[in-house]
Amino acid sequence: MTYYLTTLGVYAGVDIIACLALNLQFGVSGIVNFSFIVFQAAGAYTAAVLALPPDSQNGGFQHYVFGAQLPFPIPWIAAAVVGGVLSVPVGLVVLRHLRVDYQAIAMLVLSVIANLVITNARPFLNGAAGLSLVPQPLSDRFNAYSPTYLWAYVAVTFVCCALVFFVSQRIVKSPYGRTLRAMREHELAVTALGKNPVVLKMTIFVVGGVIAGLSGAILVGFITIWAPSTWLYPETLILFAAVIVGGRGNNWGALFGAALVPVGFEEATRYLPQFGPPGLVPALQWVAIGLLIIGFLWFRPKGVLPEKPGRFAAATPVVGARLTKEPGVS
Amino acid sequence: MSPSALEPTAGSAPATGTGLGVAPQPMMTVRNVERHFEGMRAVDGVSIDILPGRITGLIGPNGAGKSTLLAVLAGTLPASGGTVTFDGTDITEWPAWRRARHGMIRTFQLPSEFAELTVLENLLVAAPNHRGESLRGALLGRRYWIADERREVARARELLARFSLSAKESEYAGSLSGGQKRLIEIMRALMLQPRLLLLDEPMSGVHPSIIGEIARYLEGLRDGGLTILIVEHELHMIERLCNPVIVMAQGKVIGQGSMIELRRQREIVDAYLVG
Amino acid sequence: MSLYLAAFGFGLVSTSVLAIAAVGFTMQFGISNMINLAYGEVMIAAAYASYGLNNAGINIWVSLLGGAVFGSVSSYLINRVLYAPFQKKGTALIGMVIISLAASLMIANVLLPIVGYYSVSYRQNVGPTFHAGSIALTGVQLAIMGLAIVLMLVIHSLLKLTRLGKAMRATSANPTLARNCGIPTRRVIDTAWLITGALCGVAGTVAGMNSDTFAVASGAGFLISIIAAAVLGGAGNPYGAMIGALLIGEVTEISAAAFSPEYKEVAAFAILVLVMVLRPQGLLAKRGTLAAAG
Repeated sequence: MTYYLTTLGVYAGVDIIACLALNLQFGVSGIVNFSFIVFQAAGAYTAAVLALPPDSQNGGFQHYVFGAQLPFPIPWIAAAVVGGVLSVPVGLVVLRHLRVDYQAIAMLVLSVIANLVITNARPFLNGAAGLSLVPQPLSDRFNAYSPTYLWAYVAVTFVCCALVFFVSQRIVKSPYGRTLRAMREHELAVTALGKNPVVLKMTIFVVGGVIAGLSGAILVGFITIWAPSTWLYPETLILFAAVIVGGRGNNWGALFGAALVPVGFEEATRYLPQFGPPGLVPALQWVAIGLLIIGFLWFRPKGVLPEKPGRFAAATPVVGARLTKEPGVS
Repeated sequence: MSPSALEPTAGSAPATGTGLGVAPQPMMTVRNVERHFEGMRAVDGVSIDILPGRITGLIGPNGAGKSTLLAVLAGTLPASGGTVTFDGTDITEWPAWRRARHGMIRTFQLPSEFAELTVLENLLVAAPNHRGESLRGALLGRRYWIADERREVARARELLARFSLSAKESEYAGSLSGGQKRLIEIMRALMLQPRLLLLDEPMSGVHPSIIGEIARYLEGLRDGGLTILIVEHELHMIERLCNPVIVMAQGKVIGQGSMIELRRQREIVDAYLVG
Repeated sequence: MSLYLAAFGFGLVSTSVLAIAAVGFTMQFGISNMINLAYGEVMIAAAYASYGLNNAGINIWVSLLGGAVFGSVSSYLINRVLYAPFQKKGTALIGMVIISLAASLMIANVLLPIVGYYSVSYRQNVGPTFHAGSIALTGVQLAIMGLAIVLMLVIHSLLKLTRLGKAMRATSANPTLARNCGIPTRRVIDTAWLITGALCGVAGTVAGMNSDTFAVASGAGFLISIIAAAVLGGAGNPYGAMIGALLIGEVTEISAAAFSPEYKEVAAFAILVLVMVLRPQGLLAKRGTLAAAG
């Protein structure tokens, strides 16, 4: 039971972090990052190979690069860095000149191809079998299977959630976030007002990549395995569903959506009894995700918790008088 | 402290009147500018000067290349050939956002409001040099940028009052009427204290009763010293506001001068002014 | 060398399959100004429809017709029931592409419980093998090539010679203008989806005929090559898609011979990236027939 609850807790935390990142990219800035899961995977692989011992160990049954056996928190930090660094070339190719739906298909194709390459290039990250026996953070000092450790892991995950939420709120509530929203509404008009759209898109794309990388590290540190089958391109669509259901552009919406869609649909039902022929339940889940997206875009495109406009204190009646109240974004 | 939002920063050109005295130094010089689309020459060797402190009209039949020329001048479309000089600097290769930072702001033929932002937010987006507008500024938090925000909110409200839209400041821009959206675009441009305003059919899709109002605002801006280039179909408005007027057809300039002078030229009348 | 010549031969067959698919895909983009990411899954569904007929003892070439009808009707329905209403509502491009990806996943996952996870193959007589130097192709493969050529000629005549083709070109260039000129755009769009859907169905079936086996999971791979071919030729341009198909078809087969068949689609991806960096409007954008907007 402890294992079930803590697993659910870590998955929930990771999904919340991922949805917050996707909300910054897609919800706030209008970047259709269909390869989001690739950045999470990049973080997970990075954290894994930095935490794992050289691949000659454990009987050499898996093959991978590095195997640096670095102590926590270096693998996590590196995962975030790799997520961000990987965003740079991808963003520069995809986000500069292409129409928004071209951007989306370019990302989608990237997601499929990245998975294909990692699956087939076995010596790199152990191919289709994936990595296993990834050491949990600080497992050399603590018993990683004790309830205390498991709950502590959940706690750390939620601290990371809180941190990411704090950063996301700062961005969304700032003039920078306002300009990103404006870019989402009409990119050319923002350009004509003297904003460089490439800088705007690249910064938020990299921020999203950093957070995605971190989310991957947190997940792999707990489940200790990572394989191509865990980051197939449809996984990204679950996160999109969460952001759309929760409310594009609203961090609380992303939080709510993450708790409802990926956690509710995927993780909770994972432990429920199956019915029908094998594979029927997951297939129906995917159909439900699709219906959820289409249904919300049709009936409630702004989501359950719609984006809130910036609020400003009322103007003072006398023009030119000193402002008595803060007119800033609240 | 805060400079009036409507006060344009003075150009290097000498003071201007309307057509009196020595011809002033042009604010923008356009030479042999071309723009090709899939083998078609939408703008075909245009050379014009835009004089400071005036409203220059750009007219011509549909497909004459007016809007394309405006987009090339604003940098939202790259030129296929020729040079554009602004204040003595060759800006032909500059991207649109860089031109905007140097004081050339354009508006669009179709409404381009940020629909899901409020009216006040629409104006604030345009604020230049806002400390809170970079990722770093955002992460440093509200205390880092709140002073700039206060200043810009005050400027934006001043503009809203001047254009009689104060009551709408908290409404979504997408919910406004066509004419109000036009005004938002113009106010947004003014937030940047432009030196040259490029207006692409600001009267299109606007209720006739508001057209006169927009014209009055534009006259006010001109009298404040702002230079404006305006693409428009409403000939009455062009006649009222613009001197000189440039006539384009099939990508080329076929005449320029005051509306009165243009009416005397047979071929221009044939090409456009009648039928 | 002979290895590469053989690969070139296979490349011609891949090109034929891909050309049929990519022309349908790119025409959907042209007529509806949206990327239909469900295209690959409709192909697979049609391939299974043909498989159902074929498995019931019907000749594969007759089953192919069934697949075409299935692709046609289901594409028409997807557009009529899903895409068109959203477009009419004013959903932005960003929303449309998400909707089409959602549709793609839904089709795949409705299909999965019905047909299962396992690969299947058609009952067909591949006919005698014909040799030309080191190129060796089966009768079926030659027939697929012939079919592709016939279909391309049909599409060409449709676009250039018929009123419907003219109406389709006008609608894809500027729907509002076309409507104002009295073209019944809704009917034209519906017909276009029926035609392109038929191409999609044929493509799915011949793809299954050309490869030993196919499964629901094959859809994503199809889609990547199709996107690459269509983007390469300038999205919306059927002639561009044909040339794109030739390039992608040959490059994937030759690179499969040179490196490893597992990375077939990686070559398509590399070309796609190059095009997106260097010439996002596509190689043939200048002479776009079904001009892409934006």
